[in-house]
Amino acid sequence: MADIEVKIGEIVVAEGRDTILASGIGSCVVITIYDPRLKMGAMAHAMLPSRDGVGNPIKEGGRHGENGIKDARYVDTAINEMLKKMENRGAKREDLEAKIVGGANMFSSFESDIGRDNVLSAKEKLKKEGLNKAGECVGGSQGRSVEFSVGSGIVTVKTKF
Amino acid sequence: MLNKLQEVNKQAALNTSRALSKLIGRPVVVEISRPVLKKVEEVSPIINPEEIVAAIYLPVTGAIKGASLLIFPKETAFALSDLLVKREPGTTRKLTDLDKSALKEVGNILSGSYLSVLSNMLQVKIIEHMPQFSFDMFGAVTSQVISEFAQEAEEALIVKIEFTFKPIRLKGYFLLLFRQEEINAIIGSLKEQRAASNR
Repeated sequence: MADIEVKIGEIVVAEGRDTILASGIGSCVVITIYDPRLKMGAMAHAMLPSRDGVGNPIKEGGRHGENGIKDARYVDTAINEMLKKMENRGAKREDLEAKIVGGANMFSSFESDIGRDNVLSAKEKLKKEGLNKAGECVGGSQGRSVEFSVGSGIVTVKTKF
Repeated sequence: MLNKLQEVNKQAALNTSRALSKLIGRPVVVEISRPVLKKVEEVSPIINPEEIVAAIYLPVTGAIKGASLLIFPKETAFALSDLLVKREPGTTRKLTDLDKSALKEVGNILSGSYLSVLSNMLQVKIIEHMPQFSFDMFGAVTSQVISEFAQEAEEALIVKIEFTFKPIRLKGYFLLLFRQEEINAIIGSLKEQRAASNR
């Protein structure tokens, strides 16, 4: 049983009684995908809505070896990679449940609302990939922290004020 | 290029220290780190991401496009507000609109001090915009700033300024993010100008 932290641009896949954490989420989105049959889950902490189609392949490696994957800064490519990793471990797409957290607007006077764009990108991508969206806690102007308990599939969201 | 920015650092530290000392009425020690080039999402985690901070964000445009972010941990923000608004120490426990304005002014001074030196040295126009305020988790406020920056640049030139308001040990942090390509282009252009004038 371990607590595993996911920083910006990272993905973690875990099983059993592990808890995956992401702290201090503002405009970024955290996407969790859970397989209740295999008690397996993945979390991505993405900062931008979409890769533009031009760029480098997703890099392997990271703090957790095969588990930790860097360069998941884009919502769409992060979801692709989460699905690939989970399906390689035996997950079936029809079993999977996804949740979205984050996408706040911390400074109201920004010209763009990147938090909103991140949330829209996540919803579109999950729909396109045929995933069930089991819940969301998005928008607003407050920071959040997320704990994803892989054993139960429960996602706990914390704010501070 | 990084050595050039170190010269800016030294002068900016002096300017900033003087300006803040004048504002607050007591000595302020300013230490500016060497500029480093990093992926934007690797901005150093100087504070626990869940710690509540007062954050003042100033976008920068003109010849150099970037951003500055001033961070005060919550207790520092309260104590600094006491100093700025001339209350008894320990009075502020919640930031009023006046406190936020005063903290934004500190952001203006810091940003202005650094950017005016940079502007003079590089002989270019740099425009600062209105400061914006947020009081929330450190990770949350920095993530939006670096996400906005990351839309146009993978890496940023990051300068970290740490200052201490003596004799009270209050620490704040000031992050400046610049696109290296723009600074390189301007310094390159400056070198060409000097070379042409020496012929």
